[in-house]
Amino acid sequence: MRRPGFVVAFAVLTGMLCTDTALAQSTTGWPVYGGDSGNTRYGKLDQITTKNVQRLKVAWVLQLGTLEAQESTPLVIGDTLYVTSSSGPKHVFAVEAKTGTVRWRYSPEIPADVQQTTCCGLDNRGVAYAKGKIFVTRLDGYLVALDARTGKELWKSQVVDYTQGAAITSPPTAVKNLVVTGFAGGEYGVRGYISAFDQDTGKEVWRLYTVPATGEPGSETWKGDSWKFGGGAAWYVGSYDPQLNLLYYGTSNPAPWAAVVRGPDSSAYGDFTNLFTASTLAIDPDSGKIVWHYQSTPYDAWDYDGVNELVLADVVVGGQTTPVLFKADRNGFFYVLNRKTGKLISAEPYVFVNWATGVDKASGRPIEIPEKRPRLDTWARDICPNLFGGKNWEPMAYSPQTRLVYIPTFNLCMDLAGRTAEYKRGMFYLGSEWDLAKVGPGGHMSEAIAWDPIKNVKVWGNKEELPFMGGMLPTAGGLVFHGNIQGWFKALDASTGKLLWQFNTGSGISAGPVTYELDGKQYVAVVSGRLVTPPSFLGHIGEKIFASSPPGGALFVFELPAP
Amino acid sequence: MTGWLLARGASETAPPATNPFHADASVVPVGRSLFNQHCSHCHAPNAINPDPSRDLRRLKLRYRENMAHVFYETVTEGRPTKGMVPWKGVLSEDAIWKIFTFLESVQREP
Ligand code: HEC
Repeated sequence: MRRPGFVVAFAVLTGMLCTDTALAQSTTGWPVYGGDSGNTRYGKLDQITTKNVQRLKVAWVLQLGTLEAQESTPLVIGDTLYVTSSSGPKHVFAVEAKTGTVRWRYSPEIPADVQQTTCCGLDNRGVAYAKGKIFVTRLDGYLVALDARTGKELWKSQVVDYTQGAAITSPPTAVKNLVVTGFAGGEYGVRGYISAFDQDTGKEVWRLYTVPATGEPGSETWKGDSWKFGGGAAWYVGSYDPQLNLLYYGTSNPAPWAAVVRGPDSSAYGDFTNLFTASTLAIDPDSGKIVWHYQSTPYDAWDYDGVNELVLADVVVGGQTTPVLFKADRNGFFYVLNRKTGKLISAEPYVFVNWATGVDKASGRPIEIPEKRPRLDTWARDICPNLFGGKNWEPMAYSPQTRLVYIPTFNLCMDLAGRTAEYKRGMFYLGSEWDLAKVGPGGHMSEAIAWDPIKNVKVWGNKEELPFMGGMLPTAGGLVFHGNIQGWFKALDASTGKLLWQFNTGSGISAGPVTYELDGKQYVAVVSGRLVTPPSFLGHIGEKIFASSPPGGALFVFELPAP
Repeated sequence: MTGWLLARGASETAPPATNPFHADASVVPVGRSLFNQHCSHCHAPNAINPDPSRDLRRLKLRYRENMAHVFYETVTEGRPTKGMVPWKGVLSEDAIWKIFTFLESVQREP
């Protein structure tokens, strides 16, 4: 169904992206992390509805074999489901999507010392698929291609030397004949880059540094040679628009957190914006060059990574259908940009924000409140949101049916102070002291919200007691599915937020659910397995989270039983 | 000295490590700040870590009179394959013992 003025852009685009494979073209599977190459995570299936969701039952369960944080989004290609476990990944499973019977398993040996070089848990968010190949990224900095039918390793290429403090936790992006990936390491002073590999050979085709070297455009935004360990890691997923032929990635915080290393110790930072950190980049996938950039947090001092996924949609702005991207930034502002030009359309707070009064429309810069910027040996207190952000990696979703964006938000604040930092290879490079365990206004720690991205208003919100709630799945059946850290998997009415059904999976859910259809039947799937490391940053709140559900690791698949 | 100490890399012949700041309460805030700068992203701010294997408030429960020794060996040498980094050459002896003095102040009683 097409609502006047709104185009369901990515149902069409996904098909165009995958012209070479009938399987991935199907609107009934889940061919890519974000559901489509625009990361909308909209489930086009409507068998499971607000009327019958109460009857939803477990069809099968797959044990993932690890107990670290499970953050994987499964892919469904044809009749096969591909899912990863945490810890490396320790396992990549290919299973029959109808029964969970294992077809093959890929279990690489990952060096034990990757623990030191991963900031926030031994997670893996899933694989990518193209032309009969599964692409796996690993904590030890490798990208691997597997035969999708057999699991046989076809090639293995090093993306980055993990021992410097780098790790790959997110699936790569398949674009034309390339597979593109960034890596994590903004807490270890890596110099970020995004690189593209040939899908057939594994040869590196291009590499784009997100932090320019001396003399390159943008290098004037860095103090001295601070760019060398400048961060800007693109650790989350990319989006791709095949019509514009543009690839989009967000970049992390600059390193170290203590800004004084990279510029003046003040909100009057002038040109010291530290490009291209905490930014959205539009990249020409053929050349690997930046076409436009938009920096959401110039001269970041709060660890407000700009990595959150870019959700692509075509919406009416000022009477004109416009290709836009949505980003619920860590810094608390919801950005709508023209994705062709990078022009700012709107930037409004979608959570409680008190470090800036707004975003200046002309410069695109946040209007800072100077007391909320941590400086060297000076605490800034009660900054909202805290460094987990208004939203973190837990994926949001856009429904063209309701025209709303569903966002798993945080409601936490922090105290932060800058300290003297010295770079040491493979060690955290923060120069910072912090207290993140401050609950935001209202006393709840997260909230599922339905956000109107054009009017910039919250249409409804469901408060959750504890943080790290799960990613969102709106469906054509008028539902939104999501999990929470206590392990409950819920179905809500997409237009009101009313709880219609819930199921206890026994361990916390942070990953995003998916839906697929096989032999005429709709399934909904989600991975359960509580986060371990990020809650530990929260002291007594972390103790509550640990008490709320045990660690785990299982994929749950649901169906409507025959009446 | 028992098997677990050897297994964790402490040498039986080394003189037992002792804290030069023992019971000096004035060092606790300094140690706390150092801990929060260097250790808190793995061991949690103020050492309040819900994950037992990383909860440094349990050192006394675990190691009793050998606590200082295990602490010193673990911090200087690390346990690299377990995710604990070596701090020799990064933090001074002085800083390491100040951190220990802070940790002594938050130990759970047996
Ligand atoms: C990169 C993460 C990381 C950092 C940074 C880190 N540690 Fe650890 N530490 C660990 C892990 C993981 C363990 C548990 C190892 C094991 O399971 O044996 C540990 C164990 C320890 C232990 C032994 C605990 C026990 O019960 O046996 C001590 C003592 C310790 N760390 C002190 C420190 C101090 C002091 C600092 C800061 C100077 C620090 N650590 C920084 C990860 C870290």
